[in-house]
Amino acid sequence: MISEFLSYSIVPLLSALAIPFLGRKNEKITEILANVTILAGLINIGYILFNPSNHRNQYSTFTQDGFTLLMIFTIYLVAMCVVFFSTRMNDRKIDKNSYYPLIMLSVSAMCSMVMARDFFTLYIFMEALAVTSFALITTDDGRGGIEGALKYFLLTFPASALIIIGLALLMIVSGGFSFEHIQAQIIGAPDFLTFLALSLILLGFLIKSGMVPFHFWTPDAYQGSYSPVSAYLAGIVTKISGVYAIIRLSMFFKLFDDKAYKASEMLLLIGFASIAWGAIAAMRQKDFKRMLAFSSISQLGYILMGAGTFTTLGIIAAIFHLFNHATFKTTLFLNSASLEKNAGTTDMKKLGGMEHNMPVTSWTSIIALFSTAGVPPLSGFWSKIMIIIALWMTGSEFYAAAALIFSIVTLAYFMIMQKKIFFGKANPEFAHVKEVDFTLLSPVLLMSAIIIAAGVFFPYVYDYLANTIATRMVI
Amino acid sequence: MNINLIPILLPFFSALLILAVSEKTKYLKELLSIGVTLTALLASIITLGNSLGGDFAEIRLPWLYNLAQFSLKADMLSAFILASVSLFSLLIAIYSFSFENKGPSKWFYFNLLFTQALAAGAVMSDSLITMLFFWEGMLVFLYTFIALSKTDQASKNTALKAFMINAVTDICLMTGVIITGYLASTFNMSEIAENKLVLSGWATFGYVLLLIGAMAKAGAFPFHTWIPDAATDSSAAFMSYVPAAIDKLIGIYFLARASVYLYKLDGTMSMVVMSIGALTIIIAVMMAFVQQDYKRLLSYHAVSQTGYMILGIGTLHPIGIAGGLFHMLNNAVYKSCLFMTAGSVEKQAGTNSIDKLGGLFRNMPVTAVCFIIAAAAISGIAPLNGFFSKELVYKGALETGHVIFFLAAEIGSFLTLASFLKLGHSVFFGKRPQELAEVREAPVSMLFPTALLAGLCLAFGFGAFWPINVLIAPSLANLGMLPACELSGFHLDNLYWVSVIVILLAVANHILGVSLAGNKASKASDHIHHAPVLKPVYEMAEKRYFDLYHLVMNKVPAMAKTLFKVDRLMDKLTDDLPSASFNAVSKNLGEAHNGSYLLYMAVTFVGIVAYILFIGGMK
Repeated sequence: MISEFLSYSIVPLLSALAIPFLGRKNEKITEILANVTILAGLINIGYILFNPSNHRNQYSTFTQDGFTLLMIFTIYLVAMCVVFFSTRMNDRKIDKNSYYPLIMLSVSAMCSMVMARDFFTLYIFMEALAVTSFALITTDDGRGGIEGALKYFLLTFPASALIIIGLALLMIVSGGFSFEHIQAQIIGAPDFLTFLALSLILLGFLIKSGMVPFHFWTPDAYQGSYSPVSAYLAGIVTKISGVYAIIRLSMFFKLFDDKAYKASEMLLLIGFASIAWGAIAAMRQKDFKRMLAFSSISQLGYILMGAGTFTTLGIIAAIFHLFNHATFKTTLFLNSASLEKNAGTTDMKKLGGMEHNMPVTSWTSIIALFSTAGVPPLSGFWSKIMIIIALWMTGSEFYAAAALIFSIVTLAYFMIMQKKIFFGKANPEFAHVKEVDFTLLSPVLLMSAIIIAAGVFFPYVYDYLANTIATRMVI
Repeated sequence: MNINLIPILLPFFSALLILAVSEKTKYLKELLSIGVTLTALLASIITLGNSLGGDFAEIRLPWLYNLAQFSLKADMLSAFILASVSLFSLLIAIYSFSFENKGPSKWFYFNLLFTQALAAGAVMSDSLITMLFFWEGMLVFLYTFIALSKTDQASKNTALKAFMINAVTDICLMTGVIITGYLASTFNMSEIAENKLVLSGWATFGYVLLLIGAMAKAGAFPFHTWIPDAATDSSAAFMSYVPAAIDKLIGIYFLARASVYLYKLDGTMSMVVMSIGALTIIIAVMMAFVQQDYKRLLSYHAVSQTGYMILGIGTLHPIGIAGGLFHMLNNAVYKSCLFMTAGSVEKQAGTNSIDKLGGLFRNMPVTAVCFIIAAAAISGIAPLNGFFSKELVYKGALETGHVIFFLAAEIGSFLTLASFLKLGHSVFFGKRPQELAEVREAPVSMLFPTALLAGLCLAFGFGAFWPINVLIAPSLANLGMLPACELSGFHLDNLYWVSVIVILLAVANHILGVSLAGNKASKASDHIHHAPVLKPVYEMAEKRYFDLYHLVMNKVPAMAKTLFKVDRLMDKLTDDLPSASFNAVSKNLGEAHNGSYLLYMAVTFVGIVAYILFIGGMK
């Protein structure tokens, strides 16, 4: 781990330590401290990422690669939205002096994870992140939360075992965990044992990120947990703990040239299975949050397919889709939280005609779901089309066609959701429901604006991704 | 401004102007239309004069991204047809001045002026694409002309019929034009003419498509079926304008262009065209002979006479073509005149059914005299214009050596005269029904154009050399055909005596028919109508068994039902089936997430084992 960006991990960690003491008397101080910590980090990373001079030099002054920087930005962006939303939601049931420190800790763990330059560090912080996640799922002390947390813990523990085995094997084969070391090893002598070790680590992270058939904990965990926590988990936490590492690994597999074709096939197959399973299962869900959980599985499948091509275009597309997924899934989960706050339920059978009561929520949902389904010119369209092109170019025509068809299914289940909740006949039971206030809307409005901007100005975004981010990576 | 544009643009803008004129104004629309058509006629005459003097006043503008030029060129043939179109537009505009049965006058004149503008454009176009543009435009106004002439449903149905028949054939024409243009690698007719296409392979196909388009416009068999229906379902003014005059002029004009100017036909194709002409003559005149409605009887003659023109052009002999073109002009003259008399009788006596009419000579002497002249002309009685054009057609047919066509034409003449004897006898002579005693002569505005056309019948008859030498011969030269002998002039040869025999036979037949029918002139055709073999055929014809349009239309409901079923099936396959199967799978998958930890763990371990086995089996 290189120390130059360590402050992104240290500051939230210190904040997490300080909050319980400072906020014991006054919860306001807790909230202010949490918000200020995250906002400061977001402004800082935003300045580094988008500062024209850094941009022009392609971050040559930093040792960290562009992928890490973009991920830190995404982490802080989602965390900012969730923390601000939680503050304004002002739920009396939760214990703020443990909730905000946990968020701070997980931000710290995630930043450490993405900054790690060797697999062992990566693994350590992944475990740290998992612990904070278990605790976060149980935030509101509901039965569903504890069940979800237990399932998350129990069903993902094989991951740890597999990663440990893979790391041991890697140690035996190449004598080190660091990325540079493995890279040199692969380029020097690409042998089967290195491949096997990396494959085992990959399997561990596949389980961690909840791909089919290791996905069973996701719906329960996302549905059972406190709503802003669902947004946080689905938007960024499970992506960093699983998919980030998978993309990182795919850059190594790329170095194997054709010898890693089995890993590629495995990733494409699991990606396709996730897309299909998630999308089809989402169609008949009755709860908004549970549907979003299945949608999340489905969208991860796209990222996996992009990464599984082991080509530069595919990996860039996967990174972009990861970023887009963070924006639209956070928007949708926060909308579900708004619904839960004001209408008291996210059950699609009961809700109906909410567009008149909550017009902004309805419209931001439409933007986010269109982006998920890949409707041009929103950002999701571009990342999906890049993934499909990458698949086509590597000769995986079947997977390319499947990715295309299942984006139609994505639109179908989201339109069912939109029709049941926001359009259709109004339920008189919810006639009194009002739109949430502007401060609660501002995170989703910000995310919607990013979705539209990243889609409309895609040529600049692509230029940025391909020339600034990608050149600083191993790929 | 180029003078060629006046006959196109002036009616076009005036038609739009007429829509802006209030319904309440009396005679303003009529006077405006008469003025416009008169101006157009004067311009056309000047064009004709220029053209005969050798000035074709060409206009060429780039059009459709230079794919085709917008080109107008008034060569001799075009200028001659243009003058005719303008003349008939003026006469119909005058005739309709006080003719109430024409429908709302705003729409009538709107349609009339638009048809005139588009017809003028079609005949003057040098580029086939430009011609197609004007030609297809006429289709729209054919529909509105019929549909707006009456308010009942029948006129809408007939309008649709006319539209459908002409739309299908216009598509044929369009395809033919594209093939022709592609083969000749230019769409300009004057350029194609320099290097005529020879019939073979695609060229044959292209020519046949052009032939279909031209013959359907002219109303030849089997595309004629809308004309008799229009006779009963629309006004006499429309009939005397479009099917009697404009359609014949345009259709035969293009038939001549296609057959002589653009393509070099061979003997087989010539036989085909002549056969269609002969068939049209016989079938239509047989139908005309037994009709009991004034306008419907005339409408079948309008079809039958087309047969002579097609026969004449199909001979490919300069004499035959001259006959065809001259007959086209003559037919427009006397057929318009006849339809005008029908309109006058309908307006004054209130009916068109010939068994209710009779003895109107005393009430409407001018109309009756005009009728007699025009009827004599159409029957080809000696010194009138019809005689000279038919004589040319006969000569052309005999020149080809196929006597059968000559015989068919003579049988046509015989039945034509017989049916006009029947018509004239039952309408203007014989016993006058009591209720018709008070009928008065038609107004001057209707008599004037009728009389003028009857006068033209006489003038083109006694002075046949003038139209032949001034209009027809230059047109032939224009088409690249120089007649070997003198076309005009009265010859006391065998053909004359044959025509005399035909006249005598027709008169004898009429006397026989009247006496057989018990002195009722309207039943004079019954002895042929009810003849053993012909009776069932006539019955089937009246039931439209031979009408291609109705044969197709009768199949439409069944076809629509089948297509609907196919559509439902496709809908089930593409919509219902996937969504139902997706729903079922979705339900099962959703229920698989039942919260059972054991199941979840088992699936996870199966997944891990499968993954490791797959990866481990790499070596």
